[in-house]
Amino acid sequence: MKQLQMTLNPSFSLISTNKIIQMNDVWTSYDSKNFALEGINLSIDRGTNYAIVGQSGSGKSTLLKLMNGMMIPSKGTIKIDYVTPDMNNKKFKKMMHTIGYIPQSLGLVKNITVIENILIGALPRLNKIQSLLKKFPESEIQEAKRIMSLVGLSGKEDRKAYMLSGGEKRRVAIARALMQKPTILLADEIVSELDHVTAREIMNLIADAQKRMNLTAIMVHHDIQLALEYANRVAVIKEGQKILEIGVEGDIIVDFQTGDLNTKEIMEMYSDDSKK
Amino acid sequence: MTPKNNIVIGIIVALVVVASYNVDANPLEFVEGLPNLAIVVEEMLLVEPKYIPTALWAMFETIQMAFIGTVVGTAIALPLSMFAARNLNSKYVYAPVRALLAAIRTFPSILWAILFVIMVGLGTFAGVLAIVMYTVGFVAKLQYEAIETIDSDPMDAVSSIGVSKWQLIRYVVIPESASHLLSQILYMFDYNVRQTSILGLVGAGGIGFYIINYIKFFEYGKAAIFMLVVLVTVLFIDWISVKIRDKYIIKSQHGMEVTTK
Ligand SMILES: Nc1ncnc2c1ncn2[C@@H]1O[C@H](COP(=O)(O)OP(=O)(O)OP(=O)(O)O)[C@@H](O)[C@H]1O
Ligand SMILES: [Mg+2]
Repeated sequence: MKQLQMTLNPSFSLISTNKIIQMNDVWTSYDSKNFALEGINLSIDRGTNYAIVGQSGSGKSTLLKLMNGMMIPSKGTIKIDYVTPDMNNKKFKKMMHTIGYIPQSLGLVKNITVIENILIGALPRLNKIQSLLKKFPESEIQEAKRIMSLVGLSGKEDRKAYMLSGGEKRRVAIARALMQKPTILLADEIVSELDHVTAREIMNLIADAQKRMNLTAIMVHHDIQLALEYANRVAVIKEGQKILEIGVEGDIIVDFQTGDLNTKEIMEMYSDDSKK
Repeated sequence: MTPKNNIVIGIIVALVVVASYNVDANPLEFVEGLPNLAIVVEEMLLVEPKYIPTALWAMFETIQMAFIGTVVGTAIALPLSMFAARNLNSKYVYAPVRALLAAIRTFPSILWAILFVIMVGLGTFAGVLAIVMYTVGFVAKLQYEAIETIDSDPMDAVSSIGVSKWQLIRYVVIPESASHLLSQILYMFDYNVRQTSILGLVGAGGIGFYIINYIKFFEYGKAAIFMLVVLVTVLFIDWISVKIRDKYIIKSQHGMEVTTK
């Protein structure tokens, strides 16, 4: 597949074989009046831990919804592994099986148990009869339990989701996404409301899973410090536009838009943008 | 009380008076008729206890009819409600299903009973069919409305995994609307017992058949026994449903409250 792409379009593929997500001049709006995103360009390498930061209402959640096909742009193109994300596109619907999406609201099913919520991530691997009878193969149940112990939910299998604390709910949503055996993880402010210790615990967990599974993680953060700590790349969004994209390595920060080398002190200037 | 409210109340009172005149509803006749009621009550007091076993048996039959009607009606209503919910289907699917359900609901159960008596003959089966139809119309409506109020967050999150529509129904729609369903079934059964009690009026079986016949022949004492049995049964079922509702439904709805925070 990739081989084919390369022969068809060598100049393109030279720089982009490793690109898992590409956005070109993407505009989108919820209503006819204002644009939520205005001309976004992004290109994300496979295996990157990519962070998106920005003020409330700047368009971060919208950006994630575009990447998993829940929304389609009004202008511009998006490619996820060379496929245009759109829920109604059969080919993309298959890809959705391995795109873990953790919405800002988490989206747990309140009246079913923790383990059932997590097993939902395995539904695409079940046949019709198994899924209608809730008859999950033993291997999937073992996998769910393994992920549960990974995220620190052991022993809470049979708890109804509505009986969990905020932090536990986040862990369930993360576990459901991991259960999908994802190649891409889209996470919308999953640690924003947690205390520092728990937030780091969860970030380490995702960083771990990422290394093991060669996952591409795109995470929205409120806290730019946390983003800098964990991400290889940080994009700053302001009023629907990407105003900055930086790569992080130790104390050196590279502005990918201008090619400038900055230090963390300069970043402080931007960090005001991410705080309310 | 603002002057505007007074005008509104005045208009409503005027409308009631005009309408009463139109339909010949004369309060004087009600007062004049009171002595007749006294005669009926007096005769009713001459209850004949030896009819109690028959009355109980007739009531048992009525409850069974209502039970079958409620269960079968709900079983038909559930899949229909999935097709009638706007958040699960395209317009081309939900619009015709909703129209069909609305048409079913326009008939009160007694009219369905007449129709089925003509179709399958006198007796309890016609009554059961009438209750089934009535239940289908109402449970399906209550249920599709419940489905439409399901939180869109879990629906979107689970859809974004790319699951099939049946999986979405099985893992999100049914669990998130089930507490409503139980309460609707209880309400419907309660209501169906009352309805079935009068279907006998058109020959569709149940305890109403006895009541109407005794009244026709002015045997109020016998009718009274049967009416008393209906009263006690309905109160009893009401009490039981309140208990069940308290135990299961209030609890789960409380749980839902907690999670929305
Ligand atoms: N469902 C919606 N309908 C209409 N407008 C919306 C909707 N969702 C978001 N918007 C608008 O789109 C813009 C971007 O919203 P978005 O949710 O992407 O912001 P965000 O960066 O995720 O904010 P936050 O940090 O508060 O989550 C905002 O102006 C918002 O008001
Ligand atoms: Mg958001």
